Amino acid sequence: MQTWIKGLASAAVGALIAASAGSAQAADPIDIVALYNLSGGGQASLDVPSLNGVKLKAKMINEAGGLLGGRMLNVTAFDTKDDTREAATAAKRAVAMKGVSAAIGFSDTTYVLAAAPLFQTAGIPFVTSGATSPDLPVMVGDEMFLVPFGDDVQAEAMAEYAYNKLGIHKIAIWTDRGMDYTTGLTKYFTKRFEKLGGKVVLSDVFMTSDQDFSALVSRLKSTKGVEGVYAASGPDTAGIIIKQIREAGLDLPIMGGDGLDTDLVVSVPGKEMATDVYFTTHAYVGLDTGPANEFRKAYTREYGHEPENAFAALGFDAMGVVANAIEKAGSADPAAVTKALAATKDYEGVTGALTYPEGSHVPSKPVAIMHVDKGNVDFDETVTPQD
Amino acid sequence: MTLPYLIDQLVNGLILGSMYALVAIGFSMIYGIVRLINFAHGDILTIGAFAGLAAFASADLPFPVVILIVLVAGAVVGMVIERTTFRPMRGSPQVTGFIASLAVSIILENLAIMILSAQPRTFRIPAYLNALVDFGPVSIRVIDLMIVVLAIVLVIALTSFVRFTKVGIAMRATAENYDVARLMGININRMIMLAFAIGSALAAVAGLMWGSKYGQISPLMGVLPGLKAFVAAVIGGVGSISGAVLGGYILGLAEVLFVGLLPPALSGYRNAFVFGALILVLLVLPNGLLGRNTETRA
Repeated sequence: MQTWIKGLASAAVGALIAASAGSAQAADPIDIVALYNLSGGGQASLDVPSLNGVKLKAKMINEAGGLLGGRMLNVTAFDTKDDTREAATAAKRAVAMKGVSAAIGFSDTTYVLAAAPLFQTAGIPFVTSGATSPDLPVMVGDEMFLVPFGDDVQAEAMAEYAYNKLGIHKIAIWTDRGMDYTTGLTKYFTKRFEKLGGKVVLSDVFMTSDQDFSALVSRLKSTKGVEGVYAASGPDTAGIIIKQIREAGLDLPIMGGDGLDTDLVVSVPGKEMATDVYFTTHAYVGLDTGPANEFRKAYTREYGHEPENAFAALGFDAMGVVANAIEKAGSADPAAVTKALAATKDYEGVTGALTYPEGSHVPSKPVAIMHVDKGNVDFDETVTPQD
Repeated sequence: MTLPYLIDQLVNGLILGSMYALVAIGFSMIYGIVRLINFAHGDILTIGAFAGLAAFASADLPFPVVILIVLVAGAVVGMVIERTTFRPMRGSPQVTGFIASLAVSIILENLAIMILSAQPRTFRIPAYLNALVDFGPVSIRVIDLMIVVLAIVLVIALTSFVRFTKVGIAMRATAENYDVARLMGININRMIMLAFAIGSALAAVAGLMWGSKYGQISPLMGVLPGLKAFVAAVIGGVGSISGAVLGGYILGLAEVLFVGLLPPALSGYRNAFVFGALILVLLVLPNGLLGRNTETRA
């Protein structure tokens, strides 16, 4: 809380300085808007680091002299409070601002769908740093870009890992029916898992606001032959699910998507019970590349602690991809930025090299598989999707 | 479906029901004495959970002491809300208090978000509370056992207090008729404040239990349990303490059995089921199972 208030305050001060410096040089700042859920619910545990990443990248670019020959990046952040109506309102306010070059935001598909269509109508590119539905560009339009991989890719990567590496052939799936993200994960996971020859022996559903999973745990316990659980969960329920499954004495492997990439996964169940958990996330932890190491160092210097999770890196990359497109376009005009974004090729990001394949706004990127063992979250391997 | 499975689910429902009962009692008590549907009641649960977290984090206090601190914290907050918001409105139409309670609820939630941040927090309890106790076919955690026992003990204590002590009788008299109670020399203000204190203390302790059981707390955690306690109170008959307890257990069991006995695809509808049950009860049994006709008050 205090850190993000400080962050917001420093962003405001930074914006003021950037604005005054800009007018002194007679070069207008380039306006970028960032929409995130900074307060209200578990999304904040993903969105606060994301915005930190966005602001860090913008600051680094500005310190290095800005873009287009000295124009400073000016990031205006909106807190959408874990509320899709707030997301739409923030989008309206952002669109009404004059001269916005691009918008960045969100770690969840539901919020993107509430906000991005307004940018689409206004002809401003919307780059999501963390929402992973591969259908987003189809649903929103040609102004929509993803920085992370699509859910199809991460769910398929986990299905293959579960079947081949962990040797799980009979699985139970728990799905949060309250989110587009989680229902998507289950859809893609099931398809690939069954194609490999695996069998889904139990498919249970819950809602994001649920806290008591006792009834689901009892059913899981009484289902015969279950070898593992795929929990398509967001950050709110990730820790509680693991805690309640383990407390019932079940030591099955628990798997999930990047919604499990939150410290709640270890802190809520405690070190002893946070074990034999696997999740897919954005490859940067495992990458010992120049940009990844540089990012870790810069983030720690700026915020006083290591990046909380991969979303910090994704925010950083989202800002980087946008800045890269502005430079390539040679203009901060949104239409030119959109065109340059679509042509992004081999952008060396913290979360791996990013390319938008011909006609697609979903990048092909590597997936990292993380293994939680007695409270230690370790990088296991990187899977790069083949198709 | 096997017998152990059914027993398992019944135990789950009993534990959940105990927490609903604790919250529902306070809800019912406050309604009984001031005819106020207090929608800020669920937020007291949140305050209790965070008070418990603070007590655990600041000093390594033993669990009974933490319970005591949480009870006191809940009571104080309840009294402050009563004194600052509801007392000045006494005598206004019922709907005024109802709307004011919604306002209090939203203020408390936003305050909590601003002060504590929206990120969910881990709630750790001493290891011995997580130990398993065996009861033949089922084994239960100490904390779960504690939730059930605490709920029952508090309910019995409260019921005997209201029924047999002088203050309890004065409270019931106040609930019956302000003017007559005042003529009997009862300090109405003090009685109403006491009802808020007791009701809020119970909700706070439910919050502590909630956090201890699930291990994660957040500023909006009280919203849904608060609404469900309202449903439990309605099922039992708003204003009746034993009704609230009965309603809490019925709701907890019904919710768990709804998920546990019906096909998994329906699990996502558990909240819809709970609030559907509310409408049904209001239609069929508007005064609840143990409620009296409360509209005849002077």
